[in-house]
Formats: sequence, structure tokens, C-alpha cells
Amino acid sequence: MTCAECLSQLATSSLREMPADSAVMQHCATCPDCSRLTTLLREREYNAANVLNNLPPTSNPITLAESSVRLAQRRRVGRVVVMVSGAALVATIWVTAVTMILPVARRSEIVANSPLRTETITLRCLSPEQAADIINPYVRSRGSGYYMPNSRISAITVRGTADEVAKSRNLIGSFESDPSAACRSTPFGMLKKLGEEDASNDGGRGMFHRPGEGTSNDATPAVAGKATTAPKK
Amino acid sequence: MRLNRFGKSGGRDVSQPERPSHRDRTAHAIDAQLASLASSGDDSAFTTLVTRFQPAVFRWALMFAGDADEAEDITQEVFVRTYRQIGNYRNDGSLEAWLYRITRRAATQMRRKRTRRGRLALSPGAQPLRDVYTTDPGGRVDRERAGTLIRELFAKLPRRQREIFDLVDLQGFSPTEAAERTGMKPVSVRANLFKARKAIREDLLATHPSYGELSR
Repeated sequence: MTCAECLSQLATSSLREMPADSAVMQHCATCPDCSRLTTLLREREYNAANVLNNLPPTSNPITLAESSVRLAQRRRVGRVVVMVSGAALVATIWVTAVTMILPVARRSEIVANSPLRTETITLRCLSPEQAADIINPYVRSRGSGYYMPNSRISAITVRGTADEVAKSRNLIGSFESDPSAACRSTPFGMLKKLGEEDASNDGGRGMFHRPGEGTSNDATPAVAGKATTAPKK
Repeated sequence: MRLNRFGKSGGRDVSQPERPSHRDRTAHAIDAQLASLASSGDDSAFTTLVTRFQPAVFRWALMFAGDADEAEDITQEVFVRTYRQIGNYRNDGSLEAWLYRITRRAATQMRRKRTRRGRLALSPGAQPLRDVYTTDPGGRVDRERAGTLIRELFAKLPRRQREIFDLVDLQGFSPTEAAERTGMKPVSVRANLFKARKAIREDLLATHPSYGELSR
């Protein structure tokens, strides 16, 4: 056996399991260098085992046992505290979700899934208030309503079922297209109309009443169908 | 309880049959009784158990730790866990092997924790001072020697190889026993042992003055 072979054997095999009659040991018996190396290896492992095994722990076993018991109990308490805190956290999250988040989500879901329609109707003649007065009795289902713009835009937004929206549109449309609607009458037209009515009543004396001539001395045109009375002196 | 293949209790010869001796059976019975009493809340039984196993646990911890102080911390942690989990111990296995597994786990977890904390530490000043054995100079020298030895001998080895080398070559367990303790396959134990020996001895041979001439 050469020294190189001996070294390669020594590098990986157990010194304990090498019998005295093995090739390595026989080579070591004749080779001073390999023998020295083998001794060195043995000594090093022996010293390592010896130091490790003979190094006593510094802590007293009784103290160690007591502190272990104390620590274990403290950790148990800590675990309970952590569990309780966790449960409280979960409960808080649940309550928050039930009372705050879910209703909002449900409401938005209802809004998203509701069968109500929204439509803005442009007004040419009626004011939004007048349009609202007209459609008010017809927009009655749950969640329905109408919105009047604050910025004096001539429009009204109706929210309701398809029938309600259609009804509102038709009503507003019919009022808007009526030529005799109040909103189409200018003050001059109204006066002219009144004059024609008076002429047909009192033999064509004109559209204005002269003072002391008629039944009424009021300069204001009378509204059709409204009785006028003489001023008391 | 075997501690040393070079002295004390000595290692078991591989060729011998692995029948437990009367002494082993007695020790096993005592351990089982201690464990049973400790699990029922008997603190004095637990103290006896600690007294009985502290040197062995410390010895195992030394192999996993970088120095003796860290080994003390691991030992403390092992007995805290033992107290909490002693009710889970079943008498069909050896208490020593059960404690070894706890030591292994505790050492691994503490090492991970230390690594994390080491990463988090901003400055060297954040590291706690570990030199607390100023009252016993002899003991301190021994511990420093052990620390140096561990660093010199095992620092270059991965944890698993270090553990296997210690179990087989220093503590005298057979590869099969080491495999049972560590939960590894015997083949893996042998492979790790092979690598560990190679690394340790090649390191030693490389530092030897005559190695250069011999290896030519």
C-alpha cells in the first residue's frame, strides 16, 4: 500500500473499525509519516469527544427545572392571551362587517339589481316644479321618485318602474304640447284673449275696460271664469 | 446513557446483537415512570428527570450550537418543551431518543430565530454580551476551549454532517442507531458520515506539514 492510498483510506473510514491487521494499519506500522497522521487523527477525535463530553452545563438542574416549569406556564398563559385576543379581533371584524360593510354592500347590490329605471325628461314649457306636481301621483312604487335640478335647468329626472317612467313622460309630453297650456301664453296674448271674450259678452266694446264703463274698473285683466266685483267706495 | 466512545460508557460494538441489556431495561422503566409522574403534574419527578438528562441534552445541544452559551439556551428550551409535551410521550420508545428529537427541533428553530434576529440587528452593539462567566475562570477557559474546538472541527461542516459525525464517530452510535435518532435513512447517514469524515480529515491532513510530501 502506498502513502496516497493510505491517506485516501484514512480520509473516509472509521478509525474505530480499522482492525490492526488491516492494510492501512500495517502500512502505518511501517511508515512513520502515515503513522503520525493516524495518531494525530485519533488524538484529535479523542480530544474533541473528551472536551465535549466533559464540559458540564453551568446551570443548576434544580434551577433549570424550576425555570422551565415557570417558563412553560408563562407561555401557556401567553398562548391563552393570544387566543383570546385573536378571538376578540375576529369578533370585532365580524361585528364591523355585519353592521357596517354588509349593509352598504347589500344596498349597492339592491341598487345595481333593481328593476327601476331612471330617465331625465327635458322641459320646454313647464317648470320642474310644475312637472313634479303633474307626475307626483303616478310615481309611487318603492324606491321611485323624481329629482328637480337646483341649477334651474329645465328638466326633471324620474326614477321608477318602466310604466311609471313612461306614464310620466306621456303626461309631461301632453302638457307640454298643449297649445292652451298656461306656459305658452305671453302676457299680451292672455290680454288679447281676455279682450275677445269681453267683446263677445258686451257687444264689442273693446278689450280694455274704461273707467266707470264696465262692471269692473280694475285695470288687471280678468281671468276667465273668475267673478269680478265693483270696488267699494 | 452513552456519552463517549473513548471512555465513560463506551460505544456498542457493531458486531454484537442489539438486545437491550438488563441495565437498559431498568433505565427505560425508570425513565417511563419519571415521565408518567411528571406528566401527572409531579414537579419533583420533573426535576429528577431534568437532573438525569441535563448533561446529555447539553452535550447534544453543544453539537448543534456554536458555543456553550448557546447550548445552555437550547437546553433550557428543551426542558421547557419537555414540560409542556411530556404528556405526549409514549412509553414504547426511549425517553432519551424522544428528548434528542426535541433537542434537534429546538436547536434548529433557535438557530433560525437567531439568524432572523441577526439580520434584523442594525449594529454590533445590538448583540448582547455573552461573556457572563467571569466568576469561574477555569470554567470559562473550558467553555472557550470547547467553543474553539467546535468551531475548528465542525465549522466547515453542514449541520446534518456535523450531527452524524458526532453521533457515530464521537458518541459511538452505529449508523443504524443514528438513523433511528435522526429520522434519516441509514444510507443517508452513511453518505453524510462519509462526507463529514472526508471534510474533517482532509482539513487536518492539509494542515499537516508532511501531507504535501505524502500526497505526491
